[in-house]
Amino acid sequence: MSGYIAKRLLLLVPVLLGVSLVVFAVMSLVPGDPALAILGPYATPERLADLRATLHLDQPWPLRWLGWLGGLLHGDMGRSVSLERPVADAVFERLGPTLLLAGAALLLGALLGLAAGLVAALRHNRATDRLVTLAVLLGISLPPFWLGLLLILLFGVWLGWLPVSGMATAWLVGTDAAPAVMWLDVLRHLLLPSLSLALVAAGVIGRIGRGAALDVLAADHIRLCRARGLSERRILLVHVLKGVLARVMPVIGLQAGFVLGGAVYIETIFQWPGLGRLLVDAIAARDLLLVQGGVLVLATAYVMVNLAADLAQHALDRRTAAA
Amino acid sequence: MSGGAQPLPGTGALAVATRRLRRHPAALAGLALLALVLLPVLAAPLLSLPDPALTDPARRMLPPLAIGHLLGTDHLGRDLLARLLWGARTSIAVGALATLTAAAVGSVLGLAAAWGGRRLDGLLMRGVDVLMAFPYLLLALAIVAALGPGLANAMLAIAVANVPFFARAVRGTVLDIRHCDYIAAARLAGHGEPRIVLREVLPNLAPTLLLLMTTTLGWMVLETAGLSFLGLGAQPPAADLGSMLGEGREFLTTYPLVAVLPGLLILLLVVSINLLGDGLRDVLDPRWSPRRSFSAPAPADARLQSQLEGGASLLAVQDLGVRFAGAAGPVPAVAGVSFRLNAGECVAVVGESGCGKTLTALSLLGLLPEGASQVGSVRLAGRELMALDGAALRDLRGRRIAYVPQEPLTALDPLFRVGVQMDETLRAHGAGPAYTAAELIRMVGLDGVPGLMRRYPHEFSGGQRQRVAIALALAHGPDLLIADEATTALDVTVQREILALLRRLCDEQARALLFVSHDLALVAELCERVLVMYAGRIVEDAPAAALLHRPAHPYSAALLGATPELGRPDKPLAVLAGEPPAPGERVDGCRFAPRCPRAQRECRAVEPALDALGEHRLVRCLFPIQEAS
Repeated sequence: MSGYIAKRLLLLVPVLLGVSLVVFAVMSLVPGDPALAILGPYATPERLADLRATLHLDQPWPLRWLGWLGGLLHGDMGRSVSLERPVADAVFERLGPTLLLAGAALLLGALLGLAAGLVAALRHNRATDRLVTLAVLLGISLPPFWLGLLLILLFGVWLGWLPVSGMATAWLVGTDAAPAVMWLDVLRHLLLPSLSLALVAAGVIGRIGRGAALDVLAADHIRLCRARGLSERRILLVHVLKGVLARVMPVIGLQAGFVLGGAVYIETIFQWPGLGRLLVDAIAARDLLLVQGGVLVLATAYVMVNLAADLAQHALDRRTAAA
Repeated sequence: MSGGAQPLPGTGALAVATRRLRRHPAALAGLALLALVLLPVLAAPLLSLPDPALTDPARRMLPPLAIGHLLGTDHLGRDLLARLLWGARTSIAVGALATLTAAAVGSVLGLAAAWGGRRLDGLLMRGVDVLMAFPYLLLALAIVAALGPGLANAMLAIAVANVPFFARAVRGTVLDIRHCDYIAAARLAGHGEPRIVLREVLPNLAPTLLLLMTTTLGWMVLETAGLSFLGLGAQPPAADLGSMLGEGREFLTTYPLVAVLPGLLILLLVVSINLLGDGLRDVLDPRWSPRRSFSAPAPADARLQSQLEGGASLLAVQDLGVRFAGAAGPVPAVAGVSFRLNAGECVAVVGESGCGKTLTALSLLGLLPEGASQVGSVRLAGRELMALDGAALRDLRGRRIAYVPQEPLTALDPLFRVGVQMDETLRAHGAGPAYTAAELIRMVGLDGVPGLMRRYPHEFSGGQRQRVAIALALAHGPDLLIADEATTALDVTVQREILALLRRLCDEQARALLFVSHDLALVAELCERVLVMYAGRIVEDAPAAALLHRPAHPYSAALLGATPELGRPDKPLAVLAGEPPAPGERVDGCRFAPRCPRAQRECRAVEPALDALGEHRLVRCLFPIQEAS
């Protein structure tokens, strides 16, 4: 098992190298002068030259990539022009809230999706199945940013039940309220943004989960469980559930990509202090180093979640060991 | 279409696909919804709508049904309906353009990877892997960040972000097509590679590509809208649905309609596209099986008057039938099966695959697959099983009737250690098990296998797995053991071992065994009596020795003639021509008559009953092979 993990971790290195290369290439192959774009048309030639030197724009981009990689080894992602501080500081400060949001959305989406898939499969071809299938289709087709707005409108504006902005209540921050109160406050803020992403993820997971549950329910070994006289309860909660989880796990990993990417919308809508919002601001300010750092960190998180999903699948189904 | 990964049917199947599509309610709903949404959107220039860009601050945020503005106006006094329709045009156009671009570039890359040799394939696929390591929205964002905001750039970014998906899917399909016979045929005919790609590969790739494009179009519309929502797509005064939603967000509390309506339109568009895509997938998927359109009432079998010795049978099956639900009424797969099994008796059920052996075995346990239903009577020690509810039936399974499957690799749950499955089986019934785990393991000869209980099913050999399955079946000391092709998947020497084990286990405990097999020679060694099944019916019921030496039904004789014998490699094998009729296929008279060398005209008129022939034999034939011959 530990050998398998080590092998998988080692395989991450070329993937992440490739990721950073792609980010760098995309950023550098663009026509136009980034310095001009940042400083605007009225900048003096001296200031432009200055900025170009700071950004190493006078070097060819493969050389800049190597330099950037070298810095990365010391945790240095360069300096953000728009924030006037190190990129690494800004990025890692915002990483926590994004991971919290994406993690909550993924967990919620997986639970909802699995439940929907199982219920639909158990009621195969009956009204419940059709209803769930329709709901799942709606989930897949929902624009998450619109869903976020609807939730704000419903629970924030009309009902007034839940906060719709930020990650914590302003007057609580900095007070010596009990940690439990603080966490509860964050959870209340977390509910709507994570739900906006979770419903879409649940659609995808529910669709795959339904198919997986149908496969497992029709499998020989489930029929054999019945032939051995096991109770339906045990068959469903132990044998079917584990089989479905093992099959759906990679899809849950892939949905991490959706929630981490979708966080960009949701953080913008809910004023969530995360990396996604930082990226949008960085793009607006043409702060390329900040964009590079942010994208690389999010992509790394995605790759790590996928690794975790693969490991979870391996733990559930030992036949996948050779993968 | 036989087995394997088949590429989707070519354009020749278009008519069939259209017909199937017309019968697919979800796809039709999608199509109708799409038409409903698209019609006003496409007709926008023809409708006399106000200019969508015309601002009128004096008439801002008018409610719906205001004079001159059907849906009211937005925060700048622009007509909402006009903006929605024109915005939708932009959204659809950009989404479609992004899909086309991604599909074109992805197809070229996928084709090159599949056709261009191993090194090119390796290089391209590594690149695709790296791109797929991104959450693709982030890739699109990075590209927009580099190119700068704007609708064209957003389109390009979304297209590029989806190229890896198309490249990978197209590569897979082309690899499948490459292995098809018609490609080999084209090569043999001396056609060059470019011609083969153009004339053979592309037309066969087209349906798959169309399907991929339909299923991704929804995503593309969503993603374009997302980028515009963030202000990275359409720039004012140009507007698409996403940017309208983004602008409307600021007025969410004061005038929600401005934000809600564009989103709703996006949802409707994407839902209808996805519905259509799902329908198309069902229609174009080669695994989609046509409904059986034929159905015939099963000829009624004469009721069996048991000519066999009476006495208390352990199992008495009477007129058992298994039916599958079909589009045009139930399709009978097994009909009129009647037989008895005494305590301690070993009886075999033999026949070609598809003759209903396994369905018969499963129906004794009430474990038919979904869509199948059973009729008739099954009595175990005088108790009617067909009348039992689920809980009572479950109590019998594993305790009184146990089942040993054909392929223990799929029959044991692959995700649980053997110990867990043993443990749950021992606990399955209220009353304690008949044996302990250690006793069971000794009984099936697995004692001495190290770490047995901690291992997973795939870590055993086939013979060991089958012994585990037998141990599980015996846990509660059942009266009847049903072995469904229990040795078919094993190699010959292991087969003999398992057979000997089954025989010994049944002899020692006076346990009845119903042994389902297609191998007559094997069965003759193990069982006292043999039931021969053909096309869902019992055609002969005879003592094993008698059947082996003097088969009465022509089908039994044919089956025997096709069985190789150990030690007689020179024996000529008679191969039976033709195939058994499909369940539900209409056959007049005897169902074996079309393949029978002895068939007379009468055979095709009426289906014979299962009648006594001599003292110990039942046969369903008008002209059974007589002893003298």
